[in-house]
Amino acid sequence: MTRQRVLAALAAVVVAIVAIAGPAGAAAPKKFKATRAFVVDRQSGTLRMPTPAEVDAVVTTLTALGQQPAERLTSTPAANGAVGMDLAGGFAGVLLARPNDDGSWETRCVFTVEEGAEFLGLVEDVQ
Amino acid sequence: MTIRRRVPIRLVALALASVLVPAAAVAGPAQFVIVNINAPGVGFNDPTPAAPVGGNTGTTLGEQRLIAFQHAAAIWSARLDSAVPIRIRAQFTALAPNVLGSAGPTQVFRDFTNAPLAGTWYHVALANKLAGVDLSPATDDINANFSTNFNFYLGLDNNHGALNDLVAVLLHEFAHGLGFSQTASLATGALLGGFPDHYNTKLLDTTLGLHWPQMTNAQRLESATRFGRVVFDGVGVTAAVPVVLSLGSPTVDVNSPASIAGGYQFGTAAFGPRIGDPSVTANIVEAVDAVEGGVIGATPTDGCSAFTNAAAIAGQIALIERGQCGFAVKARNATQAGAAAVIIYNNNTAANANAAPPGMAGDGINDAFVTVPTVSLRRADALAIVAQLGGGVNADIGIDLAVRAGADALGRARVYAPFPVAGGSSISHYDTVASRNLLMEPAINPDLTHNVKAPFDMTWELLHDVGWTFPDADGDTFPDDEDCNAASDVRPTIILNGRDTGVPNRGLGAGCTMTDTLVALKAASGPNHGDFVSAVAHVTNQWKAAGLITGAQKAAIQVTAAKWR
Repeated sequence: MTRQRVLAALAAVVVAIVAIAGPAGAAAPKKFKATRAFVVDRQSGTLRMPTPAEVDAVVTTLTALGQQPAERLTSTPAANGAVGMDLAGGFAGVLLARPNDDGSWETRCVFTVEEGAEFLGLVEDVQ
Repeated sequence: MTIRRRVPIRLVALALASVLVPAAAVAGPAQFVIVNINAPGVGFNDPTPAAPVGGNTGTTLGEQRLIAFQHAAAIWSARLDSAVPIRIRAQFTALAPNVLGSAGPTQVFRDFTNAPLAGTWYHVALANKLAGVDLSPATDDINANFSTNFNFYLGLDNNHGALNDLVAVLLHEFAHGLGFSQTASLATGALLGGFPDHYNTKLLDTTLGLHWPQMTNAQRLESATRFGRVVFDGVGVTAAVPVVLSLGSPTVDVNSPASIAGGYQFGTAAFGPRIGDPSVTANIVEAVDAVEGGVIGATPTDGCSAFTNAAAIAGQIALIERGQCGFAVKARNATQAGAAAVIIYNNNTAANANAAPPGMAGDGINDAFVTVPTVSLRRADALAIVAQLGGGVNADIGIDLAVRAGADALGRARVYAPFPVAGGSSISHYDTVASRNLLMEPAINPDLTHNVKAPFDMTWELLHDVGWTFPDADGDTFPDDEDCNAASDVRPTIILNGRDTGVPNRGLGAGCTMTDTLVALKAASGPNHGDFVSAVAHVTNQWKAAGLITGAQKAAIQVTAAKWR
């Protein structure tokens, strides 16, 4: 895959994430780095380490889809005395997959960045 | 005619379970609306040609995705009722690598009309169902995003091979959106906005004897990591446990002293016999070995050399600290000392001190010398044991054949509560020790069926416990998909061809009434009136023998049936 195609694909991911997440307002996500190969290269079909951009995309996606900090959420009155709370696109279970050696996939339904990072072998990049 | 042989056999079975016909409360299957928000040409609208697969008749990739969505929705629709359509805002889009998709509720509501519990959040689709109106008509109820980058199996027949079955994934994620998740923070323990929800009101911590809303934030945080000791105690789920989960729970249980008794979270080893081969009940004894010279950090409890207290270890459970050498080395030394089983617990390093019990890899050298089961414990649990060793600690390591895998000793379904906490997925799933595998474990296991209720699964039972009801067209309390007659005649007396017998129309179990049975006999006998009268006589004799009707009532039914030409 050429550099331009990679960038175009990542741009599409970012656009999709923005569309999913709706208005932002969240703090910048933590920076993570990969410790294990979990991406199956679409060209070669082989397992490889994710690129830093791919790691960022995973983290951004999990941040957008996963559980939102409750302090960001506000309740609002609804009809007949009911009270509602918009979950801001969050509180979703996010299904991740990592490849096994035999070609099958192991899946995990996670709700937070930290869970997803642990499952995929991402660690916080403190540098 | 076969009717004389066949019908009475069926009726004998029906008569064994007599129930009164309840007042009708008509309900219908929930309507699911898939709101396709994909732009033309992508996602659900992707025109890429695709060969039909596994009962999915779509001829483009987009069509097949939509059909799979509709199929998963239809499975839920058949088992849940609501007068308010459930709107799923859905798209297939480019997600990051290894992210398959997600779904969850868009809103929660509390204190709406007909809310079963005051001051309690309900996912919006459930709140709408309970309220009987759309509480937020301008908003969809579930938000679903799935990846165009992932090669799902799009068939509907569960014949997915090594691929991930999209229908199973959707059933799981939709269930989260319908109410299979809780909303308290697992970072702070705080309830959402200070209020419990429909799900966590039924979470019981069996150590504290408290439900989650009764706890402080700190207690909830601690409870979330109390492996095996948090159960969902709804009546429907509890009733399903013996039908769904198999007996034989792998367990590490401290029997005494009472202060630390109970089950512990454990890890398993890739070497040596499996846990339960054999099951071991013995005292725990801390292994002591020489401190290896020149090895930085070596301790007398690391088990890295021959034990100096082998006589005390023999026949008991050796307790060894992690570190300084491989797991298999420690287990081999314990085997040599005559231990009946081995526990290796996390050592006090930054990485391990608060970590989950490790899965223990072998080294290919020492593995073959390990002939006893080996498990791992987290450090805090092991230190609690160590503190009691002076008075003796007795434990089981093995398969508890009296306990079902995925339930506690009292038969209540365990929820996923590992240590350390797993963000939001802790508590909002069933425990991974469940056997058979369940739809709502954190992983989508490849052996799942598309059945969501007992005897295959317990997802529907949990949703029922939190407030969903089932489609029940005749209001006889039997779900339509289990009802022997989903449109039963539930009138209070037996009325045949417009003639009221005056005999109470009792339920016969499985969702059929006496009138249903007589009508079925009429249909089966066709134009042969003699056969019908004879069959009615046979059946009513059985009902009388079973004490369901009196002799006078039997006669009334037979006379009325004889007039039905």
